[in-house]
Amino acid sequence: MSTATLRPVPTRRWAPGLVILVGGGVLVVLSALLGAVDVPVQGGLQILLHQLSGGQLFPDPCRGTGWSSGRCGAYTFIVWDLYLPEVLLALVVGAALGIAGGALQGVFRNPLADPFLLGISSGGTLGAAIVYVYRIGVGHADLYLPAFAFVGAISTGLLILAVARGRYGSVETLLLTGVAIANLLSAILSLVLLYNPVSGEQVTFWLLGGLGLADWQVDGLAVGAVLILGTLLCLYGRELNLLQLGPDVAQSAGVDAARVRVRVILLASLVTAIAVAFTGIIGFVGLVSPHIVRRLAGSDYRIVLPGGAAVGALFLLAARDISYLAFPRVVLPLGIFTAFAGVPFFLYLLYRQRRLAPMGGG
Amino acid sequence: MGSPLAVHSSGLEVRFGSRIALHAVDFDVAAGEFVALVGPNGSGKTTLLRTVLGFLTPDQGSVEVFGTPVLDLAIRDRARRVAWVPQEETLRDNVPLLQYVLYGRYPFHHPLDSDTEADRVLARRILGDVGLADRAEDGILSISGGERQRAILARALAQETPLLLLDEPTAHLDVAHQLDLLSRVRSLSRTRGVTVIAALHDLNLAARFSDRIVVLSRGRRVADGSPKDVLSEDLLARVWGVDADLAVDSRSGLPYLLPRRLITETRPAPSSLSPGPVHVVGGGGAAAPLLRALVDDGFRVTAGALHLLDTDAETADSLGIVAAVEGPFAPLGAESRARHRALLEEARVIVVAPFAVGPSNLANLEDVLPFVGRVPVLLVEPPAGSELDFAGGAATALRAALGASGAVAVPDVAAAVRAVHQALAPVSTASAAPSPVEG
Repeated sequence: MSTATLRPVPTRRWAPGLVILVGGGVLVVLSALLGAVDVPVQGGLQILLHQLSGGQLFPDPCRGTGWSSGRCGAYTFIVWDLYLPEVLLALVVGAALGIAGGALQGVFRNPLADPFLLGISSGGTLGAAIVYVYRIGVGHADLYLPAFAFVGAISTGLLILAVARGRYGSVETLLLTGVAIANLLSAILSLVLLYNPVSGEQVTFWLLGGLGLADWQVDGLAVGAVLILGTLLCLYGRELNLLQLGPDVAQSAGVDAARVRVRVILLASLVTAIAVAFTGIIGFVGLVSPHIVRRLAGSDYRIVLPGGAAVGALFLLAARDISYLAFPRVVLPLGIFTAFAGVPFFLYLLYRQRRLAPMGGG
Repeated sequence: MGSPLAVHSSGLEVRFGSRIALHAVDFDVAAGEFVALVGPNGSGKTTLLRTVLGFLTPDQGSVEVFGTPVLDLAIRDRARRVAWVPQEETLRDNVPLLQYVLYGRYPFHHPLDSDTEADRVLARRILGDVGLADRAEDGILSISGGERQRAILARALAQETPLLLLDEPTAHLDVAHQLDLLSRVRSLSRTRGVTVIAALHDLNLAARFSDRIVVLSRGRRVADGSPKDVLSEDLLARVWGVDADLAVDSRSGLPYLLPRRLITETRPAPSSLSPGPVHVVGGGGAAAPLLRALVDDGFRVTAGALHLLDTDAETADSLGIVAAVEGPFAPLGAESRARHRALLEEARVIVVAPFAVGPSNLANLEDVLPFVGRVPVLLVEPPAGSELDFAGGAATALRAALGASGAVAVPDVAAAVRAVHQALAPVSTASAAPSPVEG
């Protein structure tokens, strides 16, 4: 391996962090005006500031826009009750996927690990499919769908962890168990959908992921859970750094490798299950975000985890915005847009990996 | 003197399934000692180190580190007493050396702590100790293999443990870097009183740097003492199966070993005194059983003309048989034929294996013809019903010609070997050699 093919060690720089922060702030504000219906910028901003300040700023948010009071109310509803929750959910779910991806890449010592590695997506999908197919809680889909998806997702993760933990606790066994069980669940799902073609369409839409369930209640739940779980995950940065040297070396340096592995996988599964519950399966965000952080700020997991959350949040929000900009007045599944950005990057990684060093989970 | 041993273990037994990796091993190391663990591959060196580290739970016995059973210590507390330098480390991220060495400070931190200035000062000092002071900002994948091994040592030293275990730390290093690394470990051990246990492959390095050598063989401790007492020609023969010369370095007064050759008990190496040469003509695997049987019986054997990569050529090669060879699947050329004829010329007995003959190796039979009558020629008959002639009848004709001019037909390998014995028996029984007219 010659030095020439190695990229220089990125030193910690403040610039990328600052760009992400400022750019992110602007993106969030503009995103809240963007959706299936365009909101004029001036009026939209006034409405936002009015609502955010609790009515202190711009007591009459639609002044100077020439909108009728009915129109003003409609725009207020759109910005405040439709778009902003969507923006917030995109941020939270993106952050959840980014941090879970970073944590799993660390624990599996595999740059291609992603949050759906352990069959969590299959479990979540099956849970969602059960709600559609058996018409559970008709009229309360916004309640039952996430609940079932969450239960399906997290129980798959736990099952795999339990099966693989017993006697043969290697990382490879865990991965293969995940792949095997995910396949089994997909087969069950196919069987269920085969006899319920109508629900199939709904399930497919759910499979592609979307922000359709967003409202303030959902957001509150998601923000709280992801904040707690994400913080806990970030505390394992130091351990993940040492695990990169192999479980034995990590243990000789004082890391309880087996315990850390189980806890990180558990936390990552939980945080992924929450994302899956509210938005369905959104691919590639979790895979790509940690790698972007590594390129910008090095491979210290104390940076990769929170950084992955920040990048994941903005990535998903950008995907949402692009989908609205590219296809105005249509609500398209978000998973499609993350895939469009993610797949080329994924291929680039694969290519780069070959050149750099032998890859592998070991 | 009252102070506990750095390592104390007795009756240590570790099993992997039915395989016993360590068998009733007593192993004590005094504080401040530099102990070299040596032994052939699979003798249990790494297993012993891993047991001391607490990675493995022994099936019997226990390991105490500075007076406390290692398994009773929390993993974090173990890391403050024992550090480990593995043979190599799987590094995938190009982490700056300073940060890498700071990883060794893990057991001193709580989850919310960040690295302190004291940690950084310590890490830089240790980098200086291993000769990497000016490389602190370089990535660990960007430095050379020798430097990387020193960086790994630095990471282990950052744990500031009184006991340091090294598992063949010099396995991938050239001789200069081997000396460099072990000298540094040696001097750190002397200046800081760090106890060192190093599994080493190289006995001369072990003798050069250690206070004491512990020899493991098949999971047992078979020798233990100062390098002068332990290293002997007899030990190398017994444990490694190697014939070696032992000498004393005039400058250091330390013993060093010069390995000569592998000792094989089962089969005495053929010498110029062995009977022969017996030349075997074959190809495609037909001669392999014959080659083995003749070598086992102590004959000097030659073979030809064989094609590279075929079973006969591989067998000849593995048995150390001199053979005339041709490239794979090529017709026998002038060069290989000349070499084959030279071997035939030397042979005291020629055995023709029941090999398949095609146009590419028909020359093998032609070349034997002139020797019939000069030396005994044995023609091993093919198994019933097998077709060996792929040369349009030419092979059958040649075999018949060999028989007609005095070659002796033998039914199988065993009969052929018996006939070779008779042909090469001491002169008094020479009359028992098969008569050429018999065939």
